[in-house]
Amino acid sequence: MRDRILTLATLILATLAIYGLTQMEGSGSLVSALTLVFIWSIAAISLNLINGQLGILSLGHHGFMMIGGYLTALLMLPEKERSPFRTRLLSDWARENLDLNRWLEALGLGFLAQSTDAKFVIALILAGLAAALVGLIVGIPSLRLKGDYLAIVTFGFGEIIRLLPNAPEVARFTNGPLGIKGVPGDAGTLWWTFAVFLITLWFFSRLKFSSYGRAFEGIREDEIAAEAMGVNLAYHKVLAFSISAFFAGVAGGLYASYLQSVDTQTFNFFVTFFLLVAISLGGLGSITGAVLGTAIVLLVRIYGGFLEEPRPAYVALFAISGLMILAFAFSVYIRRARHLRPVIEPKHLIFLGTGVGLMLLTLAFFSTPFVQQEVQFFGMRKILLAVLLILIMIYRREGIMGRSEFSWKLLFGPREDIPTEEQRKQDAWLTNPELNPDAGKGNNGAS
Amino acid sequence: MALLELRNVYKAFGGLQAINGVNLKVEEGEIVSIIGPNGAGKSTLFNLITGVYRPDRGEIYFQGRRIDGLRPDQVCRLGIARTFQNLRLFNNLTVLENVLIPQHHRLGLHWIHAVLRTPAYRRREEEMRATALEKLAFFGPRLMTFRLHQPVRVLSYANRRRTEMARAMATGAKLLLLDEPSAGMNPRETQEITQIIRRFRDEGGYTVVLVEHKMNLVGEISDRVVVLDYGEKIAEGDYREVIQNPRVIEAYLGRKEG
Repeated sequence: MRDRILTLATLILATLAIYGLTQMEGSGSLVSALTLVFIWSIAAISLNLINGQLGILSLGHHGFMMIGGYLTALLMLPEKERSPFRTRLLSDWARENLDLNRWLEALGLGFLAQSTDAKFVIALILAGLAAALVGLIVGIPSLRLKGDYLAIVTFGFGEIIRLLPNAPEVARFTNGPLGIKGVPGDAGTLWWTFAVFLITLWFFSRLKFSSYGRAFEGIREDEIAAEAMGVNLAYHKVLAFSISAFFAGVAGGLYASYLQSVDTQTFNFFVTFFLLVAISLGGLGSITGAVLGTAIVLLVRIYGGFLEEPRPAYVALFAISGLMILAFAFSVYIRRARHLRPVIEPKHLIFLGTGVGLMLLTLAFFSTPFVQQEVQFFGMRKILLAVLLILIMIYRREGIMGRSEFSWKLLFGPREDIPTEEQRKQDAWLTNPELNPDAGKGNNGAS
Repeated sequence: MALLELRNVYKAFGGLQAINGVNLKVEEGEIVSIIGPNGAGKSTLFNLITGVYRPDRGEIYFQGRRIDGLRPDQVCRLGIARTFQNLRLFNNLTVLENVLIPQHHRLGLHWIHAVLRTPAYRRREEEMRATALEKLAFFGPRLMTFRLHQPVRVLSYANRRRTEMARAMATGAKLLLLDEPSAGMNPRETQEITQIIRRFRDEGGYTVVLVEHKMNLVGEISDRVVVLDYGEKIAEGDYREVIQNPRVIEAYLGRKEG
């Protein structure tokens, strides 16, 4: 009950915040950044189902996103963008028939064609279904493989799907290397992506905390044991694969609408790579982690520009030494909290000394040209992300969230896995019968 | 009709004849121990029954149904569950989740039900939780309070063994195959396991086949002992008879020279 109220309150607050943001002047860049976070979070959550929950390395996610992107773009392309001049490589048949308006009229649902939003709902579902179907076709033969082999096969399939639109025969349906331009941008807006994001969150968290989700995680933990306990491996793997592909397709459709265009370079391998980085950073197997990781990676990319502006060298020197001192303080805090002794080791002192030394040196030579010169670090954002990933892999390999999810219980309790004092006492005499107060009085315990 | 019947089963790995024409019958309500020196084919026998391996020749019947050639999950669904020699638990999942996963195959609902949390699904989930607690209760309250929500990897070795047995029971099996249930346990815990196995039959109504090296445990609970050596059944019968059998003594200790 408490949890429901809190969830509802959070939802209302988020909605109000988004409303406020859209009404604000000059919030354009923040709105589009948030939109991107939502779109890519959907893709990351869906990839996380396979890579995190099922424990299978799949590298073909960009292919599924691409199918969704292309299908949405084609179905939603307005009449004026369909002129032969704009879609030169499209065959007449495709130009005429790959149109949601025509499909709806043929089904006698012409009234739905009045609303772009309604059309987008249908187009996105169809995009997801198409991606899921391809996921099924790809999954059935390849999911017999394990580990690296499966990763290579899924990568291969992803690349085939990505390159197919360029092939002359297929270009009649996809407009080949020219891509499709002029897709309506309605579904690429903040409200739309927010809604789909919420649905995705709801769906995947329900799935994760269900019998099926447990079966997926069982497969990740130990395939042989899961199979011996009656879990049909092939069925559950293919199921997870197609569900994941469905949401990847939807995310692809949203992205195509956001960009208002789609071509073969929109969804290249770096898309999958980016998603992998995001979920590894956030925590493989955690939905919260997938969202968190995506947000971090995207926001650093979008708003990290200030890191790459030209500045006097002392700013950089102070930043580096400051970071070193902060890192030292952080390690002291962590080691104290975890009761590690000694709290400060010599290597930590050397680290701190270097930081302080660097700062003092900078101050001492403050007026020299070397310290005063303008410097600029191109690619600093990417370096920052890479360093972040390295640090996470060294100090917290399971990612920021690990496998755990955000929940109100985690914040406010009660924690069921920590024994109460009474349980602790009871447990003590269970494992050590000599402590049993009733021992010797006709004990009929297990031992 | 025997609950489990192996008819003339053969299995070779390359040139090694791991199982060489074994016949075995297990009646309902029995506790049968399979013993034999290392490499005698005991674990291979379990793997053949549970569908991990397919026999080269011969047939395996469970409740009159032929089960050789089925996948492990299909065998499990029919009512044979096993534990592993070196624990194969779902280490990062909680005890409760470990005991819920084996019940997944009896859910009988499409995944859409699970996502929408339909009343039918909620009811099944409640039932599964109740079954899980019922199975864990076999081992006293130690796994039932806070440990229920702890990941298995933080448990003690003995508790992990108990969890694995509870997991096997939760599949809804009639026949439990226990692969060295007392491996790595101290004498007191072994004693407890002995009683647990007896209670599997008496209270749970399970039939138990176990592979075991600790002879005092075997002698105490077995209705029947089967001795394997080099993939062949060299003796079968009551524990006291079997250990007097010269072929068994030879298999374990070697032949006396001269």
